[in-house]
Amino acid sequence: MNGYNFAYLDEQTKRMIRRALLKAVAIPGYQVPFGGREMPMPYGWGTGGVQLTASILGADDILKVIDQGADDTTNAVSIRHFFQRVAGVETTTATTAADVIQTRHRIPETPLRAGQILVFQVPIPEPLRFIEPSEQETRLMHALEEYGVMHVKLYEDIARYGHIATTYAYPVKVDGRYVMDPSPIPKFDNPKLDGNPALMLFGAGREKRLYAIPPYTRVESLDFEDHPFEIQRWEHACALCGSDHSYLDEVITDDQGGRMFVCSDTDYCQSRRGEVA
Amino acid sequence: MAQREREQREMETRERVAGETLSAAWPGLTDPAHDSQRLFRQILGAMSEPGTLETLAVPAPPQTPPSDALGAALWGVVLTLCDLETRVWIAADLDSSALRQALTFHTGARITDDPASADFALLTHESFDPQMPFALGSDTYPDRGTTLLVVVEQLANVGPSMLSGPGIETTRALDIGDSPGCRALMDRLAANRASFPQGLDMIFGCGARLAAVPRSTRVTRADAKEVN
Repeated sequence: MNGYNFAYLDEQTKRMIRRALLKAVAIPGYQVPFGGREMPMPYGWGTGGVQLTASILGADDILKVIDQGADDTTNAVSIRHFFQRVAGVETTTATTAADVIQTRHRIPETPLRAGQILVFQVPIPEPLRFIEPSEQETRLMHALEEYGVMHVKLYEDIARYGHIATTYAYPVKVDGRYVMDPSPIPKFDNPKLDGNPALMLFGAGREKRLYAIPPYTRVESLDFEDHPFEIQRWEHACALCGSDHSYLDEVITDDQGGRMFVCSDTDYCQSRRGEVA
Repeated sequence: MAQREREQREMETRERVAGETLSAAWPGLTDPAHDSQRLFRQILGAMSEPGTLETLAVPAPPQTPPSDALGAALWGVVLTLCDLETRVWIAADLDSSALRQALTFHTGARITDDPASADFALLTHESFDPQMPFALGSDTYPDRGTTLLVVVEQLANVGPSMLSGPGIETTRALDIGDSPGCRALMDRLAANRASFPQGLDMIFGCGARLAAVPRSTRVTRADAKEVN
């Protein structure tokens, strides 16, 4: 696209983000501040993820963008078109064909492979923020590894509901050190963070923080011995592909109370239907 | 007035000629946007999977004068990551006016004499001194540390030094050489765990090859007592 540098960001900004990314990888789970730029889309639409993708993306890369698992929703379509225009890269909806996958709030069902990079869009990067509003305090808590308060929050769930009621953005501990917000992915996806062969990068545009989980890194979801971490389960299978082990969305089909459960990962669901047919 | 213009023109010519000579010996990246992206992805790959060996893979790899010890891989790292926002410290055995000029000319990076204020430090295994006060970052801002770009004797996935931790599925061997400096480097990396999250991240270069070991990596030597 004329008038813009490759992948929209200027080289100076990319270098700044790249240097921050290397530090993020060197200190897994630690939130590195970076000079977030204003992007041609509002905060909340993935400006952090877009800046990270723009800094790592190459002309030969194949890009996939998903929003809650789907390739065809507004956020995914607009970001995919953005990179088609400003970087001229090839795009795909197939998880296996992609080199870089930018995601809003899901990890694809198809296992990722070594060499792939998953870029998460993050609204609030600080897992302790809703417990402690002060940035100075939370920074100190991370420095001192003072995470007891996070267990108190989970325990309050147990006291009130009898089980841990946190269902998304479920806090994890990375390599036994930093407590990290995995972005608002359903806790169903948390086990996929652990020992994943792909590199996972997280970008928060409004909060101007980025962090990373290198491949094959130990990632534990916080829990208690008597209340171990559990993922969501459904009594239904996907109404379209019949999968009984993927994350399902409940879709209202009429005003008579009709509903169906379908895979949230559209690529996974379509490829399964292709195999069956 | 005419004389001043003439002087101005002469100065510009001199600068341009100086720049061209410099570019001939220490050329920059041929295609800055795309070459630096490719190089960065290699550096990112090396840093996220510690100990893996990367060989410069751009259509026109960065070049250094054959006599210079820095090597193409680390020069490529400098061209990819340094700019006017970074401070670079250069060890005495790599320091030359040609390198300083090339660094300033191509990247605009500021050169510092104070290792503690450096974002990047250029050194060789011979000039590595464990007492050198590089920035380790702080407990609240561990990212504000110096990244060491070190010329090493060799790079191979064999030998007594074993790496494990994030980015490594089980373990990975890394041999950077057996000189006292190389041993001191691996010992320094092993000591990183004690000060984590503060620590030193290193990128090793040997000719056109590079590898990286960040502070998150556990380093053990088979022929020594466990240093963790």
